[in-house]
Amino acid sequence: MAIDSYYSIAYLAIFLPAVVIAYTVFPKKARWFVLLISSGIFFWSMSGKLLIWLIVSIFSIHYGGIYLSLLQKERDGKMARAKAQQGGPSKKEIRKLYQKKQLAVAAAVALFNVGILVFLKYTPFFGANMNRFLAWIKAPFSLNIPSFVVPIGISFYTLQAVAYVMDVYREKFPAERNIFRLALYMSFFPQLMEGPICRYPDTSGALWQGERIQFENLVSGMQRIAFGMMKKLVIADRLNLFIKNVFTNYNQYDGGITALAAVLYTCQLYMDFSGTMDIVLGTGEIFGVTLPENFRQPFFSKSISEFWQRWHITLGAWFKDYIFYPLSMTGPMKKLTSHGRKRLGNHYGPLTAGACGLFCVWLLNGLWHGAGWHYIFFGMYHFALILAGSLWEPAAAAICRLLHIRRTSVPWKGVQIARTAVLVCIGELFFRAHGLRAGLFMFFNIIWGFSLSSFGDGTVFNVGMDKKDFLIAFIGVLIVLVNSIMKEKGTRPRKWLADRPVVFRWALCYGLILFVVIFGAYGAGYVPLDPIYANF
Amino acid sequence: MERLIRILEDIQPGVDYSTCTNLIDGHILNSLAILSLVAELEDEFDVVIPTVEIIPDNFNSAQAMYALITRLEEEDGYGD
Amino acid sequence: MKNGIKKAVASIVFMLGLVCLLVILSYIFLPKNNMKAFGMEDVTANGILGEKENSIDVLVLGDSESYSSITPMQIWEEQGFTTYVCGTPGQYLYQSDSYLQQAFINQKPKVVILETNAIYRKMSFNASILNRIENVFAVFKYHNRWKSMQLGDLTSSADYTWTDDFKGYQYYNTVDGTANSDYMAPTDKSKLIHGLNWQYVSDMADFCEKNGAQFILVSTPSTVNWNYERHNGIVQLANALDIPYVDMNLMKNEITIDWTKDTRDKGDHLNHSGAVKVSRWLGNYLKKAYNLPDHRQDDGYSKWNEALTRYKKGVGEA
Repeated sequence: MAIDSYYSIAYLAIFLPAVVIAYTVFPKKARWFVLLISSGIFFWSMSGKLLIWLIVSIFSIHYGGIYLSLLQKERDGKMARAKAQQGGPSKKEIRKLYQKKQLAVAAAVALFNVGILVFLKYTPFFGANMNRFLAWIKAPFSLNIPSFVVPIGISFYTLQAVAYVMDVYREKFPAERNIFRLALYMSFFPQLMEGPICRYPDTSGALWQGERIQFENLVSGMQRIAFGMMKKLVIADRLNLFIKNVFTNYNQYDGGITALAAVLYTCQLYMDFSGTMDIVLGTGEIFGVTLPENFRQPFFSKSISEFWQRWHITLGAWFKDYIFYPLSMTGPMKKLTSHGRKRLGNHYGPLTAGACGLFCVWLLNGLWHGAGWHYIFFGMYHFALILAGSLWEPAAAAICRLLHIRRTSVPWKGVQIARTAVLVCIGELFFRAHGLRAGLFMFFNIIWGFSLSSFGDGTVFNVGMDKKDFLIAFIGVLIVLVNSIMKEKGTRPRKWLADRPVVFRWALCYGLILFVVIFGAYGAGYVPLDPIYANF
Repeated sequence: MERLIRILEDIQPGVDYSTCTNLIDGHILNSLAILSLVAELEDEFDVVIPTVEIIPDNFNSAQAMYALITRLEEEDGYGD
Repeated sequence: MKNGIKKAVASIVFMLGLVCLLVILSYIFLPKNNMKAFGMEDVTANGILGEKENSIDVLVLGDSESYSSITPMQIWEEQGFTTYVCGTPGQYLYQSDSYLQQAFINQKPKVVILETNAIYRKMSFNASILNRIENVFAVFKYHNRWKSMQLGDLTSSADYTWTDDFKGYQYYNTVDGTANSDYMAPTDKSKLIHGLNWQYVSDMADFCEKNGAQFILVSTPSTVNWNYERHNGIVQLANALDIPYVDMNLMKNEITIDWTKDTRDKGDHLNHSGAVKVSRWLGNYLKKAYNLPDHRQDDGYSKWNEALTRYKKGVGEA
């Protein structure tokens, strides 16, 4: 049996209901076990024996965590004694000594986990580039590059493993002694494939608790799942018909079509990923587990850095907490910041150290998405935009003052939102392109080869989507837009729905389900599409 | 406390630090300002602010920052 | 507690409402005739829907091997019983199963033949479940018709009027031969049949038994798709399920396929001259083994004689 994805019938019609029933039937104390076994089955059905990699990761953070807590205890003991006996090493010295040891342990465990990820996922990329280099220096040999089958979700659970170890090191919470609790945190089946990337205290309590399934949660969770299916099956998979053709035969279309493809791809990626998150968080909700949100209406962002606080939030937060701050707060960096501030002022001073941190974050962010130069380019593109935004900020403020533009006025906000959306679409163009060269070709094609003629003579409807396809996709996007505006205004759509009269509520639910059944891009003539982020 | 407010005003003027309680959640201080702030506070108060303490709760208001510094000073104090 | 009952009742009513809506939609989305213009898929295989009630004696299921090798009209001409080939390109067993169930709604075949190449086609578990859902709610299968639907789809009910003169057989007269005629080298090894596939064949055998039809496995000649390992695998399956198995690939004397002339694509599929040889033997064999009736003089089957004339013109025999 293969579950394939969260959109498959095997998951929605068989696996999930079976887990819900088993969870309900078992006594409260055994429910964590139901979830853990289900997660194991889920992983096994996708990656089989590669489950061993996940188990290795779980063991490593379990014992790493326990070792860290032993060191912490030892240190606390010594510090307490230092308090009693005068003259020995001071508390500060003891703290420093242990800090070093603990850091070494935490770093070793973190690097071990990241090492597995790099080894399995990036060996072919590094190998190929190494060979290119060897050929370039005319070396008489080249490397044999092995390639591995990568376990499902490794990019996501590895980050969770690192987060756990670092948090234990930072003493955010004591190390977990129960390995099954850790295993559940690492492998909870809804989040296994595409995140969200959780922190240990986020989910472990609720997962272990085994609270009874609440009717309201069940209904609300299923509503969210249906909404996610709408995003993916009606919008994303339909748009793919157009996008796939343009990105595959990228040199056969004019700039207008290419530009439209970039916009549609951004839309597809959002619908695909956030739709999957709706299914994931909806599933969590059914079991009473509140997983962290990964999206907060990203296309209302007024700047690129705001965009990244609203898009794939858990990834951005992970990079901020475990890469950006630690890097920018190392001794030399701190000195650089104070120094810079005195010389360059409040704005540009900390920017130097900040830029170093940002650079690392975006290099890794690009690489995390995949082993390819276009992903690195994607990361560097966003790094450059965020840095430029920061450098430009004082000047922008001055210009606005000069021109008497109120920066909080509605039209100005609109301009900022539009500008951000355009920049994001350009970034996603490179993200989707078949390699960096194709991406550059398409980008320059948009600029030099732009024409609206394809829209006038109807060529646009021959690329893969006809008028009716566009209409349905558009209606779908409108529905999502209304939902987003409600959220942006602070209304929770499903809470709002729960307060409507029953006739209205049911009509809306029936409408949504039938909309997906009829207008979903599935069945004869459509190849089932893997969710995009499942491949990262 | 006055020393703290002075540093804050130096880094980002135009905010009433004695009353504001959503410096982070309200996006008044961005991540670059936090970098400056941490460096300045460490200099001024001779403490080390570990990364783990850089959470919104500790930086949302001047009071919270002051509490953080006091706590760190106590933890590292010599045989008190 | 009272609240709990209220919720349970509401859930059941909601689900019932959903089922009703799906039934109504299925009715609307079902093609109103078995022709391409009405949105019907695989029209030659679905031509059986237009056949007169209880008029088909032998039903053939399978992939392209089945509709390339067996020509019902020749069997009709020579033996006088009626055969229909519900074969589709790359048919999966769950589709074979659907055609089987569909055929038995209006027909009562005495013999059901499954061409064995489909038994080795790996199926996705998800697709097999979707197929089961499609069998209950046609809207899942025909939902993509939304683009071409008309007002008539809302009001009229399905009326299948079209029949295929070739009865599911697909005529190819091109020749592209192969020198490979020794593809059945004996071996003790046998090719494993996937568990899900095994289950489907077993279910189809049970279905036939319940409905009083004889279920037979037949391997039609193909140098590309068949070998002794597969033969052995099917022998095991047939023995385990206690159903007859005919492997034409081992019948060099009875069915004299000339691989330089009787194939249209280097041994993958037979062409018309190959199909004639296979059908001649098969008709004769079925007639004798299962005592099938001769309807050629029966007035109720005059349509078949008319179709035969057109068929002969089509294959260049008249």
